[in-house]
Parts: sequence; structure tokens; C-alpha cells
Amino acid sequence: MTDTVFPGTLDASAGTEQGAAERKAAARTAKQANKRSASTKRRISRVALTVLLIVVSFVMALPFVWMFLTSVRSSPEIFSSDMPMWPAEWHWENFTVALERAPFGIYARNSFIIAVVHTISNLVFGSMAGYALAKIRFKGSSVIFGFILASMMIPFYAIVIPEFLMIRFVPFAGGNDLFGQGGTGWYDTWWALLIPGLVSPFNIFLFRQFFISTPTELMEAARIDGASEARTFVQIMAPLIRPGMLTVALLAFEAGWNNFLWPLLVTSSTNLRTIQLGLSVFRQEAGTEFNLLMAGTTMAAVPMIVMFFFFQKQFVNGFVGSGLK
Amino acid sequence: MSTNTVDRQTLSTTRRRRTPTLTQRQGRWGLLFAAPATVQIALWTGLPVLVSIILSFTNYDMLNPPEFLGFDNYVTLANDPVFWKALGNNFIMAIVGIPISILISLALAVMLNQGLRGNSIFRTAVFLPHVTATVAIAMIWLWIYSPGGNGLFNIVLGFFGVPNQAFLASPSQALPSVILVTIWQGIGLKMMIYLASLQGIDQQLYEAADIDGASAVQKFFRITIPMLKPVTFFILVTSIVGNFQTFDLIYNLTNGGPANSTTVITYQIYQTAFQQFRMGLATAQSVVLLIVLVVLTIFSRRITGGKDD
Repeated sequence: MTDTVFPGTLDASAGTEQGAAERKAAARTAKQANKRSASTKRRISRVALTVLLIVVSFVMALPFVWMFLTSVRSSPEIFSSDMPMWPAEWHWENFTVALERAPFGIYARNSFIIAVVHTISNLVFGSMAGYALAKIRFKGSSVIFGFILASMMIPFYAIVIPEFLMIRFVPFAGGNDLFGQGGTGWYDTWWALLIPGLVSPFNIFLFRQFFISTPTELMEAARIDGASEARTFVQIMAPLIRPGMLTVALLAFEAGWNNFLWPLLVTSSTNLRTIQLGLSVFRQEAGTEFNLLMAGTTMAAVPMIVMFFFFQKQFVNGFVGSGLK
Repeated sequence: MSTNTVDRQTLSTTRRRRTPTLTQRQGRWGLLFAAPATVQIALWTGLPVLVSIILSFTNYDMLNPPEFLGFDNYVTLANDPVFWKALGNNFIMAIVGIPISILISLALAVMLNQGLRGNSIFRTAVFLPHVTATVAIAMIWLWIYSPGGNGLFNIVLGFFGVPNQAFLASPSQALPSVILVTIWQGIGLKMMIYLASLQGIDQQLYEAADIDGASAVQKFFRITIPMLKPVTFFILVTSIVGNFQTFDLIYNLTNGGPANSTTVITYQIYQTAFQQFRMGLATAQSVVLLIVLVVLTIFSRRITGGKDD
């Protein structure tokens, strides 16, 4: 509107001195009006954008909301022909019932142990190797680095069968003889759950990247001061990459907690089941009682969700940064 | 010139005489630091790859010693319609699911990059599926897709008068239903990666475009999109690699069914090895998977000219 009114005024008053002043004033008002309309336009588009984002977040979060709402529904409500969207009554006892039907406490404990052990081992062995590859010149370092890079390309599903066979045929374990015959090896033991995942090549690679950007002068200064290589690493260099440590710790913990296929293959007893495997087995147990299944699912999902809320930034940096590097 | 070389020679010999103790000591420590992880990976990744390749040429059931077959397993696979079906399903999942989730995540990232209020809540909601265990996600969607009248989707469809759908129980709807879950689960990470690289674009490019009077649409297609090309390629490749490793979702949602309509290569490996105990044939399948993924990764590294540091 303002655009169409002002040009005419400008034309009419053109030429005279007074006109020039008027023109300036008019141009100023036009500019302001334009700015105002542009800002309202922007505000409208921002509101529209916000609304759109709210809708998208709602859709993305809906499955989790639905999971939770279902976990507190009564069994008759689950099976009734017109189930209300919002539960009529909140049946928190679904959680205790689910816990009675399946030992989710043991499952969670097992997953927690695996996640913690793998987190620590990845931090220790991964940072040591990453440090050596980034900061120390030694014979064979490029061969080792090439080997680590190649290992990163290997999908787990391509080596899962030999890994299973190795567990099964560990000599002198689980009744096996020297040649791994006669018994069950490490099958259905803690060793099987813990040993193969101690270090991932990817975490070594990450640590190498973190260490590359640390100042070598500090290392040399520590050496000149007479610190041993081990002490230089533990007291000087490792503390420099604390944020990186947290990133790897979160990635390793998440991988440990969410792992499914490997525990599925190498365990058979209830006492060694992990939380995800336990949940998958519980599905057969719960059958169509989806309120109980969702209670179990909530228990399996919530720890990771809580951790994500606490370490959101580090999680995102870990997943995104590790992908981009 | 000649004096120079002499100088350099004497210099290097003196240095060589002085340094060995330090380099040697360092070298020993380097090896010591790298050894535990290297041995672990050699044992649990390197060795299994070799064993996989060797076993793929044999007939092996874990009870009797492996029996050499030559290429028989690969010939069997080439003539196995279910294996081709699994490869095809992986292919369909990739070709349908990945472009859709890339487009959605790009759109969301651009919106988020406007710096609106409530950004972090929104990011959390979109990223949450990525952090949650796939088994838990499968359970949730199993319930959402429930073919009875109480599945969320059937409730919603009921509002519009659409009769109950079978979804995961229907041979024609199962694969699209699975793909929808992979899209929902995959958006978060892609969006975050896009967001990170959007924030890395030099603002001066946009300022220069503003001076030239470019519109928002022009800026998007002439600056944003070209600048995001490398990261899009990266997302594409990692998504394809990830897609070929889908297992938890299939195992818990559909068991590859109905009628193999959702089976994938990893699920075939699992079934052949751990339900039928045909270890030789299963390792042949896993070698095929290995070749597909390694070729893809090397090919993509070539294209991006990406060095790893």
C-alpha cells in the first residue's frame, strides 16, 4: 500500500527545493513504513514457522507419548473397542506387574555392567592407542593406523558368525579341550558379553583426531622435565581431551545399553539377558497385553532418554562431530 | 652446493647419533600404548574377516568339520530368490527412505537455523529417536501399527472413516510401514549434521547476495544448496551403509515377514546361520554384504577425495 502511494507524491514535488526536502521526508517515512511492514511480515512468518516446528516436534515425540500413555492404561481399556486417547485411569501398577512377569531389574543391571565396562575399556585402550597414533612416531604406526581405518569399514554383521564360533570354541573354557571341542566355550558367560566389544576401531580413530589437535610442545616440555612417557600421557596429555573423553564415553555407553544382536546370539539364560534382549523376549510373554509391553519398553528406553537430557550437547556433538570428521 | 650437502650429511649423522635413544624409547612406548587395542581388534575384527572369507567356501554346520565346496555357496545364493528378495528390500528401503528423510531433515535444519525460540526443545524431540534403542522403538511401533482397532494409526484412520488396516501383517503394507519407522528414526541425526554445516557456511556469501538483491529463494538454491553438497553426499553414503545393517528393527517388528516381504540381508544372515546352522552359506551372505559396503565406502572416499585426517 505504502509503495503505491509514495512514488506519486515524489513525482509531483520533484524539481523544487521545497520538493527536495519533501522528497527526503517522504522517502524517510516510506522507508520506515516499509521496514514496519517487512518486520510484521517477518514476525508472521516466524510465528508460522514456530507453529510448524511445534507440530513437527509433536509428531516426532508422539510415539514416546503414546508409549507412556499406554503403559498406564488398564487391561480392559487396551482391549475395549473404543479406547479413549487419554487413559481414563492411571494404572501405575502395570510397572510392578511387568517387573513380576520379567526380571527387568536383572536385565537392566546386566546392561549397565556391560555399558560401564565397555565405556571404561574404550576410554583406556582407545585413548592409549589414539595417543600413540597421533603423537608418537614409531615403527609400524602407519600400518596400525591403516589397519584401524580398514576395520572401521567392516560391518558387524559380516564378522558376527566367526565371532560366535570363536566364543564357542575358546580352548579350556566351558568344558572345551585345547582345540575348543567338547564343551560350550564362553557361550552364555559374562566373557562372551564383555570381551569382544572392549574397544571399537571407531573410538580409536576418534581419540586420534582429538589428540592431533593438542599441542606437542606440552608433551616435549614434560619430557624435558623428566616425566616418563606414561606419566606424560596420563597427567599432561589425556586431561587435555576431557571433552573428547566424555563424547566417547557417551557413545560407548549408548552402544552398550542399546546392543541387541550380540547378547541375543551368545546368551541363553535369563540371568545374562540384557535389557533390550529381555524386552524382546518379554514381547512373547506379554502377547497382546500392550500396556505391560509398553511399561517394559518405558523401562528400557527411559535411562537413555534421561542421560540424553543431561548430556544433550555432548551427545549431539559426539554423533554429529564423529560423523563429520 | 656440494658443501651444503656435506653440511647436511654431517648434521644428519650427528642428529642420528644423538636421537636414537629418544626415538627408540618413544617407539617402544608408542607400540606399547597401541598394542592392547590393536591386538584386540586384530583378534575380534581382523581374524573374523579372514575366517568369514574362508568359511564362505565351505559347508559347515558346527558339528562336523568344514567341507570345501569352492564357489558352490555363491552359486546357491545367486539362485536363491529369498536372498535376492532381501537385497531388493534393502535397495527399496534405501531408495525410498533415504531421499525422503534427507529432504525432511534438510527442511527442518533450515527452519531451525532461523534461531527461533524453543529451538532446543524442538531439537530434543527430533533427535530422541536416534538415542533410543531400536528394540524399544520397534515395540512402540508394533503397538502403533497394531492391526486391531486400538492401533494409533487405525484410530486416526477411523476418524476419516477408513477401515482397519493390517500394516505390518500385510505383505504389501509391511515394507512401507518399516520404511516409515526408519525415516522417523533417521531424521534427527541428519538434521543435526545439516544444522552443523549450515552454521559453518560463510555469512559473507549471504551478505554479498543481499547486496546484489538476491531473494531468499535464490539465496537458498544458489548458496545454501551448493554449499551443502559435500555433507549431503556424506549423509547419503552413511545412510546407505546404515540401511544395509538394519537388523534390530526387522527382527522385532516383522521377523522378515509376512512372506519375506520385509526380510533384509542381515536378517537372512541371522536365519541361515543361527536358525538353520548353515554357517558356510551364511558367511557367503556376509561376504556379499562386506563387499557391497566396502566398495561403497572406498568409492565414496575416492569421490570426496576425503583423507581421513
